Amino acid sequence: MKYFWTRFLPSYPTVLLYMLQDTEYRLGRYLGWYHRVDDFRLVMKRRTLEVTRKVWLLRTALWLLVVLIGTAVVVLMYVAMTEQMVGLFLIGLALLLAAPFVLAYGIVLPLFLGWLLIQKPREKMIIATAQKILNQHPARRIAIVGSFGKTTAKEMLHVVMGERLHVAATPGNMNTAIGISRFARTLQGNEDVLIFELGEEKVGDVRRLSRLTRPDFAVMTGINEAHLSSFGTLENTVGTIFEIDEFVPPRNLYKNAESPLVKRHKNKSKLWFSKKVAGEWRVSHVETSIEGTTFSMKRKKETMRIQTGLIGVHTVGVTAAVAALAYDFGLRTQDIERGMRKVRPFEHRMDPRPMHGAWIIDDTYNGNSQGVAAGLAFLKKSGARRRVYVTPGLVEQGSKTQEVHEEIGVQIASSADVVVLMQNSVTEYIKTGLQRRKFKGKLIEVDAPLQFYTNLDQFVAAGDIVLMQNDWTDNYQ
Amino acid sequence: MKKTIAVYFGGRSTEHDISIITALSSVIKPLEMAGEYNIVPVYITKDGRWISDSLLKDVALFSSGRIDDVVKKTKPVAVTFDGGFRLNGKKIDVNFPSMHGSYGEDGSLMGLFRMAGIPFVGADMDASVIAMDKVLAKQVAEANKIPTSKFMFMTRDTFLANQTKETKRVADSLRFPLFVKPAHLGSSIGVTRVVDTDELHNALEVAAYYDNKIIVEEAVPNLIEVTIPVMGNKTPKTALVERPLATADEFFDFDNKYIRGGGKKSGGGKHTGAQGYSELPAKLPAGLESTAIETALSVYKALGFEGTARIDLLIDSKSKKVYFNEVNPLPGSLYAHNWRAAGVSTVELVQDLIHLAEQRQAEQSKLQTTFSSSFLRQF
Repeated sequence: MKYFWTRFLPSYPTVLLYMLQDTEYRLGRYLGWYHRVDDFRLVMKRRTLEVTRKVWLLRTALWLLVVLIGTAVVVLMYVAMTEQMVGLFLIGLALLLAAPFVLAYGIVLPLFLGWLLIQKPREKMIIATAQKILNQHPARRIAIVGSFGKTTAKEMLHVVMGERLHVAATPGNMNTAIGISRFARTLQGNEDVLIFELGEEKVGDVRRLSRLTRPDFAVMTGINEAHLSSFGTLENTVGTIFEIDEFVPPRNLYKNAESPLVKRHKNKSKLWFSKKVAGEWRVSHVETSIEGTTFSMKRKKETMRIQTGLIGVHTVGVTAAVAALAYDFGLRTQDIERGMRKVRPFEHRMDPRPMHGAWIIDDTYNGNSQGVAAGLAFLKKSGARRRVYVTPGLVEQGSKTQEVHEEIGVQIASSADVVVLMQNSVTEYIKTGLQRRKFKGKLIEVDAPLQFYTNLDQFVAAGDIVLMQNDWTDNYQ
Repeated sequence: MKKTIAVYFGGRSTEHDISIITALSSVIKPLEMAGEYNIVPVYITKDGRWISDSLLKDVALFSSGRIDDVVKKTKPVAVTFDGGFRLNGKKIDVNFPSMHGSYGEDGSLMGLFRMAGIPFVGADMDASVIAMDKVLAKQVAEANKIPTSKFMFMTRDTFLANQTKETKRVADSLRFPLFVKPAHLGSSIGVTRVVDTDELHNALEVAAYYDNKIIVEEAVPNLIEVTIPVMGNKTPKTALVERPLATADEFFDFDNKYIRGGGKKSGGGKHTGAQGYSELPAKLPAGLESTAIETALSVYKALGFEGTARIDLLIDSKSKKVYFNEVNPLPGSLYAHNWRAAGVSTVELVQDLIHLAEQRQAEQSKLQTTFSSSFLRQF
């Protein structure tokens, strides 16, 4: 509580609103963040508060509360002084000291009531309407499940299947019940294929979303420690993602053989995919560079030469699965090849851009250990003049935080010449891993990530490859 | 522990403004990015006042004109040599001059730092003095058998006293077209290309307005102009050979270097930026690239350079002869774009320069500069 006084700064109410907005008004996340903060001057690092109608209302409520508490404190103190009532003075003092907490929690109350009385019934109605739309829709449905790589798989399926079929897919990372329901309301009814990304944060999520979307096919991209903090155990994560089993027949479920947690879990599906196989297809002649990835697929007398703009060997498995699934849906091999050529890196996911003769690979949406390993494997073999790796580490690794980050440090040590760490609570773990592998390159620690990213041009030279993985928002420290 | 680096910019020079941009964008910013230094910005006003304030790192302060208020409100810097070199009492580990032109790049500032015995980035005093006098630089190059284009020089007083005679002397001795230049100014200020005696006379008047020494050079035919950044002390290395591109048939003047730069679209392989636009790396006829690099390194060594410099060369593409033109001890923006293309990032560049400064200081501190004598006893 060294910086307790920062709770009395005039900017404090704005900071509270910023935290609420940044956590998308999820009260659990907001309160979790609130309790982690000591110095409230350092919260608003990456952006400023966007004054929406909601923020305006909440700000009014907060300042009313400030005035109310302030008046109460002044009145109590005044009476205590004039009447010489020590007890009353102490009550006034206690109220003054508690004021920041009263504000922080007080603002939650109208939000909770708003959610309970307005938002929840409204969302329930939207979901019920979406359920009806989806029940009646004639399209075949594909669900994408897993801890990572869902958006990439979904976008790729969308592009490739779109070569011959009328396809609709949930936009962006809209993967909750309300997100999917809003998407359902935009459907025209004549789509051939619907693709849903199913998000998961707690046990039962995949089951709930599968009931809503009723998938016929599924691609399981992989399982890892993501959201371990909310799942509690890895078994819960695995169990939740495999809830898809209750809805999709085994012959229609493609599973990632390169994900140990998927591989270990027994179910009836035999449709594996990896950099060597995708269902009945054999994969070979894999090549990857900053310009993209190519490989061949062969099944009986059919062959496909796949070429995408995606970077890294780790993209081969899921690309092959998409190709195999597209074939199952009746696309011709030449349609699939043509569609694959249109697949470009997705924004912030192994997304390369040139800078002064160097390449910057933006993988800041990657937040999982498999993605880190895949990115580092690419960096290691890139042949760059300097291999630069930039990361703050991963979030939401629960009890595995230390272990995961030490392992990341070990992997970085053999893959990069320069390591740039955005300082936070996991930095020391990564450094331990680097020391364990006797990292001989250059280590730079940065305490102002935004400044670093905006001045990256000062840091690169021709022939460098800079891989930037993951990016922590302000609510992680 | 972080080293404290003082960065000097501005100054009593025609290149005052360019120096500010070099300091803020190519020195202070990368030093901050390196995360290993405390940075003390020292701004020298056009009338020679030294001020230091962390606000000076912001270019908006200068572009908005608010700098005038800051200068008025800020106390001048106190420089002391007690227990090391100190600015306002703060000990400085390395000085980083980011000055162009007079009182900064010409050896004056370097003399002060030499007196203080503190490492400083870039060329030492004697090399700076030679470099800043185009006549002296050419004479040293010629003495070292490095080809230069034919030239003559005169002082301002000589010219003003005998304008017609001096003009005729030059016109009779050199072959047009000629370049007339103030001997001590950079950034092509006061430089004129002339093709006859009338133009020559006017150009000499212009040059005499800027400087007390004037140089007149013969133009090199079939010209390819190139520039090569060099860095190092005993074993210097070069960046890429760069060919500055100006308008079709004219020379590379101040406007092209600093004002039009970035305003025009360039073709493939051309570079645009604060230094105008250029071909990087220059596409030269076979064999000329290595000759140009060898010449640049010879000039760098002959003039006694350490730290960094940019060597400008003139090439006759028909005869394939390479001539030394001039040398720039602190190229604008450190020529960071060229080093970056050669594989040296701007952060690496400033760190390497600091390292070279420390290395030179360590070498110099080994030299014996005093000895005991009985000379004073006789008085």
